[in-house]
Amino acid sequence: MAIDNRNPSPDLAPSPVGAGSAGQGADEVLRLDDLHVSVHDGAATAVRGVSLRVRAGEIVGLVGESGSGKTLTCRAALGVLPAGCAVERGSVSFAGLDVTSLSRRGWESLHGSHLGAVFQDPASYLNPVISVGHQLTEVLRVKLRMSRRAARRRALELFEAVGLRQPERVFNQIPAELSGGMLQRVMIAIAISCDPQLLVADEPTTALDVTIQAEVLELLQQLRDERGLAVLFVSHDLAVITQLCDRIAVFYAGEIVESGPAGEITRRPRHPYTQALLRVASVGDFRRRELEVIAGQPPRVGADITGCRFAARCPVAVPECGAGPVRAVAAGDQHHVRCVHAAHAVVAP
Amino acid sequence: MTADPTIRATPAGAPPLLAVESVDVTLGHGWRANQVLSGVDLGIWPGEIVGLVGETGSGKTTLARTVVGLVNPRRGRIVLDGLPISALRGGARRAERRRGHVQLVFQDPLRSLDPDLTVAEIVAEGLRIRGGADGEEIRRRVTAALEKTGLDATVLERTPGQISGGQRQRVSIARALAVEPRLLICDEPVSALDASSRNHVLRLLYELRTSLGLPIVIISHDLSSLAGIADRVVVLYRGRIIEDGPVDRVFAAPRHPYTALLMASAPSVRHDRPFSPHQLRRAGSGPVPQDGPDACVFAARCPFAADVCATQPPLTAIGERWSAACHRHEEWGALAQPANP
Repeated sequence: MAIDNRNPSPDLAPSPVGAGSAGQGADEVLRLDDLHVSVHDGAATAVRGVSLRVRAGEIVGLVGESGSGKTLTCRAALGVLPAGCAVERGSVSFAGLDVTSLSRRGWESLHGSHLGAVFQDPASYLNPVISVGHQLTEVLRVKLRMSRRAARRRALELFEAVGLRQPERVFNQIPAELSGGMLQRVMIAIAISCDPQLLVADEPTTALDVTIQAEVLELLQQLRDERGLAVLFVSHDLAVITQLCDRIAVFYAGEIVESGPAGEITRRPRHPYTQALLRVASVGDFRRRELEVIAGQPPRVGADITGCRFAARCPVAVPECGAGPVRAVAAGDQHHVRCVHAAHAVVAP
Repeated sequence: MTADPTIRATPAGAPPLLAVESVDVTLGHGWRANQVLSGVDLGIWPGEIVGLVGETGSGKTTLARTVVGLVNPRRGRIVLDGLPISALRGGARRAERRRGHVQLVFQDPLRSLDPDLTVAEIVAEGLRIRGGADGEEIRRRVTAALEKTGLDATVLERTPGQISGGQRQRVSIARALAVEPRLLICDEPVSALDASSRNHVLRLLYELRTSLGLPIVIISHDLSSLAGIADRVVVLYRGRIIEDGPVDRVFAAPRHPYTALLMASAPSVRHDRPFSPHQLRRAGSGPVPQDGPDACVFAARCPFAADVCATQPPLTAIGERWSAACHRHEEWGALAQPANP
């Protein structure tokens, strides 16, 4: 299977978000083109036309409110959509291979060896009655056909690599004997055990204490630097995302409304929704200030809205916003915005 | 929200509404006994918002449960407006609890609200248990409580599963307000919410304090959101209060290395911190010379631990209404310098 050259839906997304000037690099690990995901057995579309690329050694962050489609996008990229959800349109490519309609067995061969995943609640993904060391060696023995002894040696190395002190001791402990931060490190050790090209991390630090969160974020950065790991990181906290990620995609109601390099997005946000998110984010300056909120509620999943989906909550909405689909336009180097105001700025600078 | 000095100004020397006095709490029995709180001293004055921060297992929730009488202190006492409520037993204690002077809003509304009851029934429950109000009075108070939290009558007949996360947290707060408490304790009221709903709920708490003069304790691990609304911050570490002071001064120059570590670790959109987390973490995993049963609780993680830290420092005043439990509170700042000039 190769990437087919199907056109993304013509009215949206002139180029996949984040493609930039680099073009199709050989180091492109994950590529989503015009991805549509339907929920409730096709009754509604929760992800509408998401295009995204993740290159080797790059950390890409997806940020948005709950229900904005970031987790579904992640799950589609992992081939683990929940029951009743399906890829309706568009494609998922992994290392140049179209995996959109891959069989279950095909996905299984990718999981672990090419794709690793870490989720919010590590305790619920680990077997509570088996030692964490055994759960890691099991992966190594099944996926890499390692011997018992080699797997144990490798497991201890991995525990050390993810910053678990006393790996020998941790090896024999069951999940209940470890703290949340240690469990998340164990999950990361399992996720990277077979040297995957891509790590998908869905809110991995949301349940952790702030000091431990900082350590886990540092670990992800270190793994990226040392192994050239590509990371797709999901969080609702823009502060976490900007601290960790190289590029950011802001989700709103199933669409990417703005994407670009992290520094560019935080310094020069162009979409009113991103600007609002930055105002409500824990900016961490510890100064007393007005607590801002975003007025209104996001639209229902699958709501049929012509034009900009944020218009109803937008402080700078104009009649044009509801006229028709809003195209994503370039607002700078690798910076794309889906807003009529940004479009004007480009037409008449 | 900007600080309103008229609300914060409590005459010095005025008795606190709630006093937690040298409280020790042990959970479990025999070999499983675990001392969760050690010598906790804390006062809450009328009309102030106090942020209680600390990591998992530091005893924040146990302290809240002790204050409302769900846990008995092994030593020390809880005094509410002159009445030592922790010493009440049997009927007197049940009567005090029914009056609902201190209300606790639990962390996860989805789990603490009965999924089979409607919002109207949930908010009315405390009033019914307390008794002394007829149906008409209860309905009036329920509507008033919901109004105070910014909910309208459309949610009255819905169950917790049918409303959004932010609305559920408002219902928990309305349930607590219905019995007109004298003190509100919120256990991680916003940790399950995204940034926008979080600010909605924090704003609501701030407004309640302003309109009702209600003192509120907010338990949280998110320091920067507390900076927006709290007057005072109290930091717990392994069952001990290690710093307690006015929020603006503590956040401007924390005097305990753990407070500084919490601040440095908080994710930030900006990069203008006085310290990086690396400067405040102990390097390596070697044994800690100051470790022992009497050592400072933070010594094992503290990069500035010295011989003096082999004994637990008491919480001592270091400024006006500001105290910290660190032997080296004046020295460590200089030792941690020069990273970000």
